[in-house]
Formats: sequence, C-alpha cells, structure tokens
Amino acid sequence: MRPLGIGRIALVVVMLAGVGLAALRVGAAGGGSPQRRQRGFNARELIDQRNPALKTPASRHEFYFTRAIYNSGWRGGAWATDYPKADRQFMTVVNRLIHIDASDRENAIRLDDPRLRKYPFLYALEVGDIALTPLEIEGLRDYLMAGGFLVIDDFWGSWEWSNFEAQMRRVFPEYPIVEMSPNHPIFNAVYRLDEILQVPSINNYWNGRTWEQDGYVPHARGIFDEKGRLMVVINWNTDLGDAWEWAERPEYPLKFSTFAVEMGINFIVYAMSH
Amino acid sequence: MLESVFEFLFKYRPLIFAEGDFSFRASWAGYTALIAAVGAGLLTLRVYARVRGNSRPLDRAILTALRLAALGVLVFCLLRPVLVLSSVVPQQNFLGVIIDDSRSMQIADQDGTPRLQFVRDNFETAEIGLRAALADRFALRFFSFSSETERVDAVEELAYGGTRSRLGQALERAHEELAGVPLSGLVVVTDGADNADVGPGESLMPIRASGIPVFTIGLGREEFERDIQMSRVEIPRRVLKGAALVVDLVITHRGYRGEMVTVQVEDDGRIVGTQDVRLPVDGDPETVRMRFTAQEAGPRLLSFRVSTQPDEMVTQNNVRHSLMVVEEDRKKVLYFEGEPRFEVKFVRRAVADDENLQVSVLQRTAENKFLRLHVDGPDDLAGGFPTTRAELFRYQGLVLGSIEANHFTPDQLQMIADFVNHRGGGLLMLGSQRSFAEGGYAGTPVADVLPVVLDTGRADSEESFFAEVSVETTRAGATHAATQIAESEQASVDRWQELPPVTMVNPIKEVKLGATTLLRSAADEFVVLAFQRYGAGKSLAFPVQDSWTWQMHADIAVDDQTHETFWRRLVRWLVDGVPDQVVTELLQDRVEPGETVTVLAQVSDTNFEEMNNSLVVATVTDPSGKILELPMAWTAEEDGEYRTTFTSTEEGFHEVRVQASSDGNLLGEDVVYAQVAASDSEYYDSTMRAPLLQRLAEETGGRFYTPETALSLADDIQYVGRGVTVAEERDLWDMPILLLLLVTLVFSEWGYRRFKGLA
Repeated sequence: MRPLGIGRIALVVVMLAGVGLAALRVGAAGGGSPQRRQRGFNARELIDQRNPALKTPASRHEFYFTRAIYNSGWRGGAWATDYPKADRQFMTVVNRLIHIDASDRENAIRLDDPRLRKYPFLYALEVGDIALTPLEIEGLRDYLMAGGFLVIDDFWGSWEWSNFEAQMRRVFPEYPIVEMSPNHPIFNAVYRLDEILQVPSINNYWNGRTWEQDGYVPHARGIFDEKGRLMVVINWNTDLGDAWEWAERPEYPLKFSTFAVEMGINFIVYAMSH
Repeated sequence: MLESVFEFLFKYRPLIFAEGDFSFRASWAGYTALIAAVGAGLLTLRVYARVRGNSRPLDRAILTALRLAALGVLVFCLLRPVLVLSSVVPQQNFLGVIIDDSRSMQIADQDGTPRLQFVRDNFETAEIGLRAALADRFALRFFSFSSETERVDAVEELAYGGTRSRLGQALERAHEELAGVPLSGLVVVTDGADNADVGPGESLMPIRASGIPVFTIGLGREEFERDIQMSRVEIPRRVLKGAALVVDLVITHRGYRGEMVTVQVEDDGRIVGTQDVRLPVDGDPETVRMRFTAQEAGPRLLSFRVSTQPDEMVTQNNVRHSLMVVEEDRKKVLYFEGEPRFEVKFVRRAVADDENLQVSVLQRTAENKFLRLHVDGPDDLAGGFPTTRAELFRYQGLVLGSIEANHFTPDQLQMIADFVNHRGGGLLMLGSQRSFAEGGYAGTPVADVLPVVLDTGRADSEESFFAEVSVETTRAGATHAATQIAESEQASVDRWQELPPVTMVNPIKEVKLGATTLLRSAADEFVVLAFQRYGAGKSLAFPVQDSWTWQMHADIAVDDQTHETFWRRLVRWLVDGVPDQVVTELLQDRVEPGETVTVLAQVSDTNFEEMNNSLVVATVTDPSGKILELPMAWTAEEDGEYRTTFTSTEEGFHEVRVQASSDGNLLGEDVVYAQVAASDSEYYDSTMRAPLLQRLAEETGGRFYTPETALSLADDIQYVGRGVTVAEERDLWDMPILLLLLVTLVFSEWGYRRFKGLA
C-alpha cells in the first residue's frame, strides 16, 4: 500500500465530508443498511418507462452520471445495484474535487431510449447476467459508435465474464475486448494510478476477502474502435460502485474508496476529452 | 456616308475645315463689288419700305430678308474665302509606323481572315497599299511591338508571336528614336488589346508635349459574334493541404445565350471539379462557384476551363491557368477549457484525422491542475495558459471555452487581444456560463477583439439565461467556406435547418459594426456564429455550448459527418492566412522569361515585432535544379520588410525559399513559387479596343481609322501632321453649297411673291 501524500490526505478529508453529507440525505430517504437495493425502491418498477420516478433531471448541467437500464436474465433489476446512493455520493465528491458542472443526482435511462445519446457518459454494473434485447443492442451500438462512452463495473468470475462477453459480441462483433495497459492515458487523466486495485463489495470485505466467485484478479479491459479510440472500459473482478456507496462507513477501507473515486474521476475526465 | 455628302456640298473633307484657318483673299475688284452690293442692299430696303401695294409689313420683311441674303451670298463669294492649311512638304518629313506583333493579331475575326492580313496587304510591299501612299509623302520608319518594341526593316518578317502588348512603351520608344528628325506623326496599326501592367496614358505625355499626332488603325472586331471567355479566376495564393476550396470564376460570352456549358477545374491534368452552367444573356457575366479540395502539396498550376462551343471565334480564351501553393504545414491551435466539457471530446474527434491541424488542449480539471492533450512535449503548457507572448504566439489559433476572464491576469488578457491584433492569429470564443459577458469579459481587451457586443450587466446578473435554438444561415453564411456542410450551397443551407437544436446560455443579439453574422437562431433573435477582422487577425464568436449535439442527437445518423465537417472547416478557417515569423511574397508570381521577379519578405521575432537587422537570404532553385543564393536587404520603407530580385530565362516553377536568422538563431523560413512562362493574356479581352485607340488619337491631335477608312490616312496626315510644312490655300467660293444656297434664296423670293400675289 502506498503511503498517503498530502494530496491524498486532502482527498480523504473532502471525501469524508462529502459522502457524510450525501449519506445523511440518502439515509433520510430510507437507505441506511448495506443492502444491494434501497428500501422502498423497486428496480423492477423502473423498467416501466411510465414510472414517473424516471424522468429527465430537472436541472441543467454539462455532465450527468448516467446509469444504463438494461434487461437481465434471472436476476432482474441488477442494473439498479447500489442505486441511487452510489451515484449521488460519487457525484457529490466529484463536484468537490474537480472543476465540473455536474449534476449530483442520479440519472438512469434505458438502452433503447432515444434520449440515451443526450448523455455521452454511461455507467453499467452487475452485467454478469445481462441479456440485451435487439433494441438495446441497436441503441447501445449506435450510442457508442456516435461517440458515447461506457463504464462497466462490478461483475465477477469467469461465468459472468463469458456471459457478458457474449452479449458485447452481439453489440460489437468486429471489435474484440482487450486487456488495457496500466500506461493507458485513462489511468492518468487526473490522478496517476499505477496499479489496478481489487475493490471489494462491503459484504465481501466483511467476509475477509476482496474477491467473489473465481474472480481473484482484477482486470481493466477495453473495447476500442478501428481508430484506436476507447469506447468501453470494463472493470472486471472489482466493485467501484460499492466503494462509492460505502465510502462514509468507517469500517470500509479508505484506500478502496479513494481508489474508486480516483478511477471514476479519471473515467469521467477521459470520456469528456477523448 | 455623311462624310461623302459633306465633301460633295463643301468641296473638301471635314478634316480640311478642322485643320484649316478661314480667311478672305479679296482683290480690288472684290471690294468694289462689296460697295456695289451694299448700295444695292440699301436700295432694296428703300424700295420695299416705300412700295406697299397690297403687301403687309411681314411680307415686305420676309422679301427684304431673302433679297439681302442672296446679296450676302454673292458678296461672300466675291470676297474670295479661302482655307489656309499647313501641308507637310513631301519627302521632308518622317513618319513612324508601329505595327502590333503580338499573338492577338492572329485572331481570324474578319470573316475568317486574321487581323495581320491587313498589315500584309498594306505594308509588306512598298509599291502597293497604304505603304505606297504614305511613302509618297514621308520617309517611313517601321517598328514592331509586343512585349518589347524594335525597329524593323522588313515588315514581312514579323512573326506575330508576341505574348504581351505594351502600347504605351511602343509609342514612347518610337518617339524617342525619332526625336532627332522632323516627325509628322506616328501611325499605330494594332487591335489595341493592351495588356501592359500600366496603361499607355503616361507614355502619351511627352508625345503630347511635342505636338506629335498619333494616328491609330484599329484591327479586328469590337465585339465577337460568338465567343466564350473565362474572364476571371479568384483563388487564394496559398492554402493548407486538404483545404476545401470555394473558388469564384467569371465567364463572359456572346452568342450562346441559354446554352449549357461545362466548367472544369484541372490539377495537373486531373479533373478535380466540374459543373454545368447555363449561360445568361449576351454580355452579362456569369459567376460560377467551383468547389474542390487541394489534395496535393506544392505549387499547383490549376486550369479553369469552359467547354469549347461550335463556331467560337477565339478558343484560346476558354481556359485560365492560376498558380496556387498548397502547403504541407501543421497549424497549431490552443484550445483552453476551464472545465471538463463534452465539446472538447467531439471537437478533438472532428479534427483528429486532419494532418494539417494540431489542436492542443489545455483543460482545467481543478485549481492549478490541468489536463494537457496533444502538446509538443512534457513541459509544454505545464504551467497552464501561456504567460509570455512568445509562448502564446507559437499558435496560429486560440479557442477559449468555459474559462472565466478572472482566470487570466490583466497582461494575459491583453496578450490574447494582441494575439489577434498584432500577431494576426485567429480567436474563437465558445458559449458557456464562463464565456462572453457571463464570464466577465465585458470591458476587457478581449471584448474589444470579439465581433459581438457584450452586455456589461450580465456578469453580475443573478438571472441566468438558457435557450434551445435551431440554427440557420444568414445570406453571408449561405456562401461562406466555414459554414458549408454539404455538397452545394443550397444543400448546405437546407442541412443547417435540419440539424437538431442546440443550447445557448449567452444571449448575444448584436454584432459590432464591420462584423459579419454567418449563423443565427431560426427566430432571428440570437447570433450563433459571427466574425470580424481585427488588426492583423480575426475573431469569431460561437455562443453555443453543446454543438456536440449535432453528432450525438438521436436524429443524427451514426455515420453522419456534418459535425466533423463543420468543425474541420471552422478550425481551418480560423488559422487560414495567419502569418508566421517569416512571410514571403512575390510581386508577380508569373513572369515572362527574362522578366524580373521581385521577392519581398516580412520578418518578425517570436513576439511578432518586426526586425530590421536580420540576416535574410533567398535561395532560388530553378526547374533544372540550379541554385542561386540572394541576400535580401531591408527596404527601409517598412519595418521588417526585406527585398531582392532575380530574373530567369528558364520556363517552369522556381522555388524561392527565404530564411531569416538573428544572432545565429533561425527565426523562420518560408517558401513561395514563381512561374516563368510566356503570358497567355493576348487571347483574353482581345476585341479591338476602339475607345482606347480613339482616345490615343484625339489626345494627340491625330485620328482613328479602321481598315475601311484607312485609305484616307495618307491625305489626312498631310494636313494634320507636323514637321516641315508649307502653307496651302484652298478656295471656298466655288463650294456647291453656296450655289445651292443662292438658287434657293432667289427662288424662295420669287415663290413667296407668287404665293402672296405680289409678283
């Protein structure tokens, strides 16, 4: 573990202040315990577009942390894991750490929604069970080919990988998924990250491990277009979302939250400039 | 015909009356007759005053007038009126005959006969034609003229291959050479298609001063019955490789109204643009806008050609060649953003494939923390926005995004203004909450440079503005190169209207005087894209905060290139024409073999201050590879301006590479090209220039002739010419007009009497 420098200490202080405030807000909404889904929040209902909970954010900002709503197999509603606490807490910290005009509210949208392309940054997690419909495949492909950027997070082990990979091959039969070098500029966009940490879910951490299933080694992989432009960054065998969500918990190691925030900020800044 | 009638009535040609002085040569008999006539006149008055009969006073007055008039005509004749003329003494004077030896004399516009045929028929043989008539009276001296003027002994040896017509120079030369002899005049045989750099007006001054008349014989038609001409081509002298060009061509024609013709652009034999054009009414110029891309680097000789039509009288003027230098250069643009914005991503993507543009991004991510992209090295812009002029002036373009004015020091703000005003760079400000008035730029030097008016109250206003606007072109924007986003102007205008709306947070409604609006909101309320020239550079305002919508909107096809096309053209135009530290110019980029090429260079230091003490050398490489090094001297007329000249007889492109250095450090280098080639200007506007030739003649006291009237030239010169002359008198008393007048008056009096019953 690297020693904390001044910059990192400052980052920690800001994070604690930020997530503390965010946690108070989310806690008031009824999300106090470390569960995958927030109490009173039914992810399945959000598939229904007529649900008024899902609407274009009221305020206008340059950046919206946008979460992809996708169809999954037996684990329906997986897209909503950590939602919306992780999104809100993360964006609260982002707004404090960098000069960005970003909404600190969640913003979820379906992959087959024509408004998807209004949000050039997209986040999706728990994709081990993803089962894209033809409309979702078309929507996602057009989104990424037009210039959108997708961050994948929080899926573990070889079984989930094979399913995810198969689904992405339906989106991009021509572009393979490749391992990303730690020297890739995305890992240096704002914070210099020399290694990819395995960020555990809070449950796994409590159980004394950082891994899940047979996902022992974290990987950062990517899908590049024919011009070498990164369209999708895939965080496999790691859970950045949980680190954002539980950053304020004293028992959750700060190093993982710090790393997750730094990775997330790097992704955002990179996606907005490349 | 009128002249013939005049001559019949007045016995002599109008020229005789114009040149002669009127006088009387009455003898004692004539004066006696005058006294008798006066007496007769008085008697007439007395008689008509007394004898009334049944006549009225008016009748008597009329009859008196008629009788007196008749007496007056008689008296006039008896007084022996004469015209006194100055007539040249035969064989005592010289006459210069200057014959046009240029290519335009080969044009066969006289029923298939070339213009030079008149010269052959009238001047090649001494015994016949006009030459014989002139030689009876004058000693003839022949000259030929085209680019140069020379004495000729044998007119039959003229080749009519001259590539230029310098009429003024010809007159001057002939006048100088014949200055020591009694010169009656100069005869110029030409079509008048003068294409010298300077008109003949100045050359006439010494000729006018010495009173030498110039007689002009105009050959050829004043108008061609059927001809199409590529009259004008306007192309930039230098462009960046890959530039999408819009070039204006002007075509004129006669006799092909309503016909469809094809216009083509060729680059080294390869067709790069083609368009069909319907010709307007005769005489009306038609402007054709040709679009093509400058693909190949280096000096390009472009040919602009209109298809030859049946029965065209001149076909050599259907094509024009123009030299354009396509630079393989990489223009640098600094794009400064105050926060992460998607505009950065999509602008970079739009220009990424353009090898001639380098867009370096400096993006503030946190306080004193910047993301630097596509910079020149690890230390480039490491300290943030440039703090010295030398550092900023390395760029040709500057784009300011969402960065507030307070981020800059006062000196940096002034530096940005100087970047445009002094350095000649291009500035583009994008829309955002930290731009324009909202960003606190009102009242700063940057505001002076911008083409739009900033509301000084906006910076402190609590009220935020937001509008979603659809964009359309203005009249200027419909044709401007930067806003062409489709294959044709109309398609481009239509495409702008189809694009999804974008958002603005800077309510700009007014542009400054002299600025041009290219895009506006569909409701004509807001300025969307405007520019102005400012000092040596230009500034643009694009108060849109999310043009990336034109790439990402659901209505835009994934492979649509509209957004990319717009940004590529906009950035290229931003840096177009921005000077470097060494800028070279040729006063003439096309000269004839042996003509002088003048090279001028403007040299500046890294702050773009002019330097007068640099070491400047021009290296000229001719087509065969021979190299000539020429030092360039400061002209002393303008700061930073250096000059040299060279001549070459070898035809082809000559590379002129200018290097400037100071204290052993290279300041910069520039390359231009000179084309040495025979001029093709003889075939353009090659109709006979009657007004010019008439003016030459009138201003010098000479006369203008056509081949049909040229036979009277010899007679006319006798009386109009100068030199050794003698006075000559011509009687006027026996003019037929006088007899006619007398008879008319007498019979009128008789007829009036009969009519009134007074006989």
